Amino acid sequence: MSDVVGTRAPRVGGLDRVTGRQAYVADIPLDDVLHVKLVTLPVARARIGAIDDAAACAVPGVQLVMSARDLRSPMPRFGPQRRDRPVIATGETKYHGDPVAAVAAETKDAAEEAAALVNVAYEELPPAFTLETALATDAPLVQDPSLRPDDPHANTNVLHEHRHVWGDIEAAEREPGLVVVEGSYQFPMVTQFAIEPHAFMAAPDGDGIAIWSAIQHPNWLQRVIAELLKLPLSKVRVHAPDPGGAFGGKQHAKYEPLLAFMALATGRPVRLVLTLEETFQAVRRGAAQVHVRTGFHPDGALVFRDVEANYQIGAYADIADRTVAKGSYTSMGPYVCPSARIVARSVLSHTVPSTAFRGFGNPQQIWAVESNMNEAARVLRIDPLELRLKNLAKPGDAFIPGDTPADGDWAVAVRRAAEMIDWGSTTPPGRGRGIAVGLKSGPTTGLSYSTVRLLVDGSVVVYAGTSDMGQGARTIFAQIAADELGTPLEWVTVVSGDTAVVPYDQQTSASRSSVFMGNAVLRACRDIQAKVRAMAADLEGVDGAGITVERGQVRIDERTIPIADVVKRGLGRLGGEIIGIGEMRKDAEPDHPLGGTAAFYEFNCTAVEVEVDRETGDISIPKYVTVSDVGKALNPNQVRGQDEGAAVMGLGHTLMEHYIWDDAGRIRNLGAIDYRIPTSMDLPADMESDIVENEDGPGPHGAKGMSEGALLPVSPAVAAAVTDATGAVIRDLPMSPERVWQALQELDSAEPAS
Amino acid sequence: MTTRIELTVNGRGRSVDVEPHHTLLEMLRDDLALTGTKECCLVGECGACTVIVDGESVDSCLMLGVEADGAAITTVEGLASGDRLDPLQEAFLETGAAQCGFCIPGQIVSARALLDDVPHPTRTQIEEGLAGNLCRCAGYEQIMEAVELAAARHGAPEPAPHPRAVTTDVASTPDAKVAPQ
Amino acid sequence: MRTFDYERPDMLADALALMADADGAARPLAGGTDLIIRIRDGSIRPRTVVDVKGIAEFSRDIRIEDGWLRIGARTTMTDLLRDERIRRDYAALAEAAAYVGSVQIRNRATLAGNICNASPAADTAPALLAFEARVVAVGQRGRRVIPLDDFFVRSGVTTLAPGELVEAIEMPVRSGRRGSVHARRTRRRGHDLASVTLAVALDEDGVTRVSYGSVGPRPVLAIDDTGLLADPAAGDDAVRDRLDELFAAAAPSPTSMRASPEYRLAMLRVMGLRAIRDARKRIAS
Repeated sequence: MSDVVGTRAPRVGGLDRVTGRQAYVADIPLDDVLHVKLVTLPVARARIGAIDDAAACAVPGVQLVMSARDLRSPMPRFGPQRRDRPVIATGETKYHGDPVAAVAAETKDAAEEAAALVNVAYEELPPAFTLETALATDAPLVQDPSLRPDDPHANTNVLHEHRHVWGDIEAAEREPGLVVVEGSYQFPMVTQFAIEPHAFMAAPDGDGIAIWSAIQHPNWLQRVIAELLKLPLSKVRVHAPDPGGAFGGKQHAKYEPLLAFMALATGRPVRLVLTLEETFQAVRRGAAQVHVRTGFHPDGALVFRDVEANYQIGAYADIADRTVAKGSYTSMGPYVCPSARIVARSVLSHTVPSTAFRGFGNPQQIWAVESNMNEAARVLRIDPLELRLKNLAKPGDAFIPGDTPADGDWAVAVRRAAEMIDWGSTTPPGRGRGIAVGLKSGPTTGLSYSTVRLLVDGSVVVYAGTSDMGQGARTIFAQIAADELGTPLEWVTVVSGDTAVVPYDQQTSASRSSVFMGNAVLRACRDIQAKVRAMAADLEGVDGAGITVERGQVRIDERTIPIADVVKRGLGRLGGEIIGIGEMRKDAEPDHPLGGTAAFYEFNCTAVEVEVDRETGDISIPKYVTVSDVGKALNPNQVRGQDEGAAVMGLGHTLMEHYIWDDAGRIRNLGAIDYRIPTSMDLPADMESDIVENEDGPGPHGAKGMSEGALLPVSPAVAAAVTDATGAVIRDLPMSPERVWQALQELDSAEPAS
Repeated sequence: MTTRIELTVNGRGRSVDVEPHHTLLEMLRDDLALTGTKECCLVGECGACTVIVDGESVDSCLMLGVEADGAAITTVEGLASGDRLDPLQEAFLETGAAQCGFCIPGQIVSARALLDDVPHPTRTQIEEGLAGNLCRCAGYEQIMEAVELAAARHGAPEPAPHPRAVTTDVASTPDAKVAPQ
Repeated sequence: MRTFDYERPDMLADALALMADADGAARPLAGGTDLIIRIRDGSIRPRTVVDVKGIAEFSRDIRIEDGWLRIGARTTMTDLLRDERIRRDYAALAEAAAYVGSVQIRNRATLAGNICNASPAADTAPALLAFEARVVAVGQRGRRVIPLDDFFVRSGVTTLAPGELVEAIEMPVRSGRRGSVHARRTRRRGHDLASVTLAVALDEDGVTRVSYGSVGPRPVLAIDDTGLLADPAAGDDAVRDRLDELFAAAAPSPTSMRASPEYRLAMLRVMGLRAIRDARKRIAS
């Protein structure tokens, strides 16, 4: 029993956040900095001609106008999956917003003025900016086929086709008496819209370089920069201040490489803060069209599921193909399904490069698969709740052959959600109810190191490279260390965000950090405990075997001594500290389709009650419940904040968010006026979240990762409730009032007059 | 061509030479080094740039710096007083309302303006009062609860001084330089 | 954004001189909630910005003068929605003002600025039209009064002459009972630009003024003096038919990304009927 872990411990960094002292990248002043402004073209795709920067260079204060000609040839490229992204566009711009030049000047005004004066000759080229145009046989190719010579898809815009098959779907389809339900679903193109637009800085640092970025993966960025600049890792220092929201959009390098080259070219620090519009042109989620065909026995048992998904990714791979691989892989859901066939394609297009975004490819297919389940429930005349419970994998079920068995008692979460929404009771008139579940596979490989230092007065410093982007990572590590070492929470300092100081962490993503970094911190503390044990044995002149060190107490025979006393005595007149090192590692399994089994699963059940204004299509949500299976809530208040935040974010893509394009492949709704996200007035009237804690996760105290689960099933739950209330089936998101109204019109005209 | 303006920021008289086309937001962040107020949408939608001008909450991205001549401005840095946090700041800490924190200065300043106007708002009034402050991390619930908590304490005895609270608008002149972290 | 000269005259004559001198390249600045956005996105490039908030003759108040309720040029949306007389006697205007943006926007945005911007979706325009508002314009050649229905031309264009400023907006004070309603269609419940705006003012004498916006290049005023809309006994079908006649001038843009023309017209009808019902309730209470 801990009195720190599992409590609503105050957030580390909370005070800075409420006083305005928290320094985000854009708040950090650098001496002698040059301000950078990007130059882009007002078209979706263009062949780049001559770049005339004479007028731009004549603006007082301009120090540099950089474009492809200023970088080595062949153009240096980077990218987490393929090195396909040029540091700056060369030859061709491939999406609306692809930078073709960058200005560095003494003031923001000068940079802005000069950027508007850079004259780029260009020839507009036909873009493939929808799935349809990108998949057409005569589609313009987004990437040069010569970049992937051994790829059978090289002459198409299909970057990769993923196939997962088990059981025998052909035989299963032929089973007599099956009820087959099928449909095609669309998930829109949406963007992270973190309230902090991306910001980056770079500066020469001795014989190396320093980068500032709100990057979720500082060590990964360090590698990218080192490789591009041909520097040893030790000469690349990445400062990673807490992001003002990231949601996956700040995982991988975007303009840091460009800034690094500009810093070296000018010999000065350079700073680029994107506008919100530029941020929308920098990161987004993959859109998708998913076709699901599921076969059931009449009693509702799953027999087979056949899923074909086309994910529309952007002009560069970034990590998008991985989102397709991972997202589609769990298309069978948390169910036992004897036969499965999943085909999922990443389709390149002349659009903003899609990247990681909370849910990582899963929300798109869950929208389709769970909607399909709810539609099936109606066809089968089985309660959608019962349909889930009937098919849900039980703890230990090998529901995905060759992968980690079900690691939670998921039915508990489902029943809890049903109870909270009063499922089964008479729905008030004019309302409808819907339920859906979401499953996501956790990290498949991973490596996190932590160093912990126990200082002579008993205070503690924890080094943990996780990016604290609102989920409260630093807080839980402080809680773990405080608990293990018996230190008051206020005496623990957590250091992160500096690759020169903090040991290696692979990344902050996949909801991995409670488990991976949490365990690393825990093990570092255990390492300290072992050293203290040896120290105590030495001091007492006894064998260490009889000594235990636990939760800040050293037990020798019947005596109990506080750890700080032992440490003080043991360190003696020279003072010093005790350093512990911890690591959690999960190695790759090369034969596994995803490179490794799931470290854990995230599971959530969401249930919704809606009211639909049939005349206008407005959806209001009188009641919303979300229940996540978390193993152990290391900080229940932070868990609640994440789950409710994920729910509201899910309501965004469910009800109102989408990019709007014109016929020429340009984004029409850049910025906050016409890209709508939920405000405080768009919330469910009554939203409740709950958690299931069975301490069955691999993290400290039985924790699993969380914070993506509650976003996964939002849209199918709401859509099912809308169907329940009105009879209208909607398969395209977002369910804006106009779309709902449209669906109701079609329903009314289709139904015979009764 | 800059104009010299005189204004009060967080209770202190300030004198600033400001370009006519620079917004109040830019002036606060760049000329006065008050970076607590944030830049996001720049079109008056997100509220990250909210400050209080002569008692009213405004989006500082839509106000020119020169318009603030003679005005009294309160930013997030001016809410704490000496070693005491504003009750809203205490409440936001207690409910854990700040996640990534980027929207939080704007939320707290908006809430301050709301409570100054309506000391005991209903939940609906809070939702409407803060509707101009977007948050992407939270479900807004904990933010709403923080405002309710602060409102409920209105008129209650002053809380104990916070161990590390300090008015953060210290003598940061445009010349003050901070070494890179 | 590009730089400009900023002037804050304290006398009207100086302001008008600045506006006249600048050869069309001067823009008045009131709340800034439209102007700043447009200067930043480059759609407006003024050489001079004339801040009207210092002009002594421009008031920030609401007062009754000679049978007219006069709203001064510097009066903000927040001022409007807090004013007891506006809430009681011009309810649709108070409701419209309450929907302009967020609190932060309403604290700065002026009514005068809202109409000068001449967005077809301006929230306050239908209410003002329904209340027979008129604009008091002032220029170097003197003052003149422009009925609001003659003020709007199309998106961004009014009948203000070059160099003219709006000094006040006035609505007649009516002695009889009136029920008025403002309605709008948006994509979310949080603040949003409207894809349909509507105001209805139902008078005791049986005349109903219906004004609608965002379904064409400018807000439209239509008057029902048959007494049908005001008649509590008139059935929904009759009301719908009469409204359809009044809505005949609706011509929503086919290229708007906020809503399709089909949806806008359908919503106009739905909102119209609901507004008439609500207005009838209000006049009765």
